[in-house]
Amino acid sequence: MIGRPTAIALIAAGVVLTATAMVLPWYSTAYAGGVEVVVRAWGTEILNKPGDWPAGELSPWYGVPVVVTAALLVAGVWISRAALAGAAGQLGAVGVIAALVMSERGHAVEQQGDFAVGFGLVFLAAGTLVALAGAVAVQREAT
Amino acid sequence: MRKVVGVVLFGLAAAAAVAATFLPFSELLISLAPGQPQTTYVTTGWSTRFGGTRDEHGPLFAIPIVVAAAAVLAGVRWRKAAFAGAAALAGVTGMLFVYLLNAISFHKEGNIAIDPALEAGFGNGIWVLISAVVLAFGAVVVHPDD
Repeated sequence: MIGRPTAIALIAAGVVLTATAMVLPWYSTAYAGGVEVVVRAWGTEILNKPGDWPAGELSPWYGVPVVVTAALLVAGVWISRAALAGAAGQLGAVGVIAALVMSERGHAVEQQGDFAVGFGLVFLAAGTLVALAGAVAVQREAT
Repeated sequence: MRKVVGVVLFGLAAAAAVAATFLPFSELLISLAPGQPQTTYVTTGWSTRFGGTRDEHGPLFAIPIVVAAAAVLAGVRWRKAAFAGAAALAGVTGMLFVYLLNAISFHKEGNIAIDPALEAGFGNGIWVLISAVVLAFGAVVVHPDD
């Protein structure tokens, strides 16, 4: 059983890890000719984009739902329920990212690309799990 | 009485979330050549299909949805699990919505030169999923503390 200060520290650490994930690459795929697609929280960057690259950009702002869950985690310092909502919501959001990563990895292998998970995704996963541990501990302390 | 209503709402929320995975989240209707019938590009929780061709590596959005729905259903016994499940379902829905919003825009921009009459938009699945989130939080509010 961990005390409330430790639980709050875990939530804070989760928020810091999540915030760091917002500025680091999440995953990337390198193709022949030096073309590289880098996915971040705030859009997709295409390095050495060839002239015949398809129009339109598949560049979602994955950071938007994560910012909402991180804000709930911060509110969780004062409202324990908000911490649980933030951590669980972030876990759900990361589940969608995990589905996309598996899909992108499959496509990359099929097209002989070189797929790599970035530090952003590692920080996001770690931040989510640490925050969840803190949120659950805060709930137990509250009961 | 509140407990019965809560249990019914938990069941409806979980059922709606699972049902949503089988419905289209996004749809693109496009004619690949003038005069040809439209081909449908559909993304569901379990597959991505272009006409009769299935994308072998399509994202399986259904997995996090089903896991969150199971947590919501656990709320019949443990109320806090339901709250966490409803929040997880909201997180899945929020991230999926962000992805689909951009994918639909990408479908339009990337293919408008091929077929100016193309149609791209959200499918019924996303609306059913959003309804499931509302039902799940409703169930948490209604279900009494044990």
